[in-house]
Amino acid sequence: MRLLEDAAKAALRDAGVDVPRGGAAGTPEEALSVARSVAGDGGRVVAKALVPAGRRGKAGAVKVCAADACGEVAASLLGMCVADTTVERVYVEEAVDIAEELYASFAFGPLSPRLVVSRSGGVDIEAVAHERPEAIVSTDIDPRSGLRTWEAVAAWEAAGVPSAALPKLAELTVKLYRAFVANDALMLEINPIGVGRDGVPRVVGTMMEIDDNALGRHPAWQRQAEASAGPGGRPLTDGERAVAEANRTLPGGATRYIELDGDIGLLVSGGGASLYQHDLILDHGGRPANHTDFSPTPTPDKQVAILEAILSRPQVRGLLIGCNHLQLARCDLIVEALAIVLRRRGLDPRGFPIVIRLFGPGEAKARELAAQFPGIRYLAPGTSLASACREIVDAVAALPPAGTEARP
Amino acid sequence: MSILIDRDTRVLVQGATGNQARFDMRYCLEYGTNVVAGVSPGRGGESVDGVPVFNTVAAAVRATGANASAIYVPARGVEAAIAEALDAGLRMLVALAENVPRHDAARSVAAVRAAGAHLVGFNTNGLISPGRSKMGGIGGDRTAALYAPGRIGVCSRSGGMSAEICAALGAAGLGASTCVSMGGDPLVGMRVVEVLRLFEADPDTDASVIYGEPGGSHEAEVVAAIREGSLRKPIVAIVVGAFQERYPKGASFGHVAAMIQGADDGATAKRRMLADAGVRVAATIDAIPGLLREALGR
Repeated sequence: MRLLEDAAKAALRDAGVDVPRGGAAGTPEEALSVARSVAGDGGRVVAKALVPAGRRGKAGAVKVCAADACGEVAASLLGMCVADTTVERVYVEEAVDIAEELYASFAFGPLSPRLVVSRSGGVDIEAVAHERPEAIVSTDIDPRSGLRTWEAVAAWEAAGVPSAALPKLAELTVKLYRAFVANDALMLEINPIGVGRDGVPRVVGTMMEIDDNALGRHPAWQRQAEASAGPGGRPLTDGERAVAEANRTLPGGATRYIELDGDIGLLVSGGGASLYQHDLILDHGGRPANHTDFSPTPTPDKQVAILEAILSRPQVRGLLIGCNHLQLARCDLIVEALAIVLRRRGLDPRGFPIVIRLFGPGEAKARELAAQFPGIRYLAPGTSLASACREIVDAVAALPPAGTEARP
Repeated sequence: MSILIDRDTRVLVQGATGNQARFDMRYCLEYGTNVVAGVSPGRGGESVDGVPVFNTVAAAVRATGANASAIYVPARGVEAAIAEALDAGLRMLVALAENVPRHDAARSVAAVRAAGAHLVGFNTNGLISPGRSKMGGIGGDRTAALYAPGRIGVCSRSGGMSAEICAALGAAGLGASTCVSMGGDPLVGMRVVEVLRLFEADPDTDASVIYGEPGGSHEAEVVAAIREGSLRKPIVAIVVGAFQERYPKGASFGHVAAMIQGADDGATAKRRMLADAGVRVAATIDAIPGLLREALGR
């Protein structure tokens, strides 16, 4: 999950990094009071829209002002729309004196954490990497020893920072690495690091992404993550929320379920096979109504919940149940779940094509169950996933145009 | 011959008394894997399916001569389990847990590599040298039907897809020397190019099949190795997930590794990059055996 600037800076502060004084505010009055407390009456502050997006400066969502004027400035930011998000809070911090802007980030390379530094901070780093790759210095870190001070010195020296500035910069960088580890971050980017005329480097822009798989170690963020959104930042749909609820309350592995605009429902399993079948459906000219990546579970309950989510959408005109050769899970439990939902919804596979490509333990029983519903096409043993995808696309394409057939 | 595991592999199971471990272990024993010991702290002295259980890996290794470990410890304990296995001198490890915290994974992989060991995983169903040995749940109770022995090396990011690929090879009269489900987590113990280098050196492997997804630099590393001339045996690749390029960036549709960061590591870019380097790129699994025959001239 991506932390907003207030949470990210609080995490850095907790890890011993010197961060400009600041705080979040939800109203102009709060913003003014934060501004006065961090900068004093005559001081200057920066007010930034708290939204999960980079390049806020370009979007006009970062403003420098006198502390006394911060109420009006905050009022202009609150309610603004930045990167498809309405600004509900602003972050107000003391303005720091900046003579030079640097860049530093930590993320993961193929095998280990990686430090990236550059003297070209304060701008879009991807553009720098593209236009002047020599301006970017990348250093792999041994995660067992962590980032050593001299490695940080060498990185900044290679980036062209003059000798006198190196010790303080390296000290800050090592502290940032510690924060990256302590917070189980996947990414920590400081852009810019502002170096003052006094030569002191300070954290200015901060982005931090926390590893969802480590949230168990960070209970406060876990609660936030549970409230987070669907793909591309859009809110969850009703069906997606129902599947998320089933993931939380029913036993078995978590199912990924994302609703899309097409008309072919997909109950497909396995990270790999679900990607493969989605590709093939599109290649054959079909349009998936959803993406799934489900793990067959020991009881039919969760599969029932997922099938309910898929089949309750009026746009869905056919269903593919496609799994790679099951090596552990049972085929009959999946078809049992299908039977429950078909009966409950009164769906007749003679007018609502259903293709099943399901081989493995319990297959004979699964075939018997499916045979109770004339019209279900349970593919012969050995039929490939590619053939299954072609079959459902062709079957849905052969239906009368949408809106003309009766569907309960 | 094969890579990583063979008839002489003596397998120890960490977390042997858990449900998944017991389930997989039974099928491994049936298949003929030499499962010689289990480890579960606090359960030493018990046995599972006739396999003795020890409290520590070191004691199990001393008593049984185990030389490989299948680690069934859950994600939060996997870093310590790997450290214990390395400490006891084991150099062939399979870690099955998925969603291992990235920092734990990175420290573990660094320790494994510093010890000169091999780690398959995280988020894997294991690996198999058909007819010789298997570690993990790969193949389940249908191992012989899905994984025919042969001379093709298989390296797959997905356990389910390794079964599909090997079943297609078997149906076409081909088979696998070794099939490695390398793990679907973003940070795993071996790079695809490293698995391919092992196949390159294996006299009983004639060609390889790799299965990839969007995200990461595995394919770019394979291409670099081909261009420098260190991979000469034919390679057939299948890369799935091109559909993701039609949806918003940052959405994750499958394995956690399969998240497109930029156009360079999307499925389409990977296919093109591999094809430009002379790799035969299959559009479907069904097409793989034909491409292998073409590459091998038979």
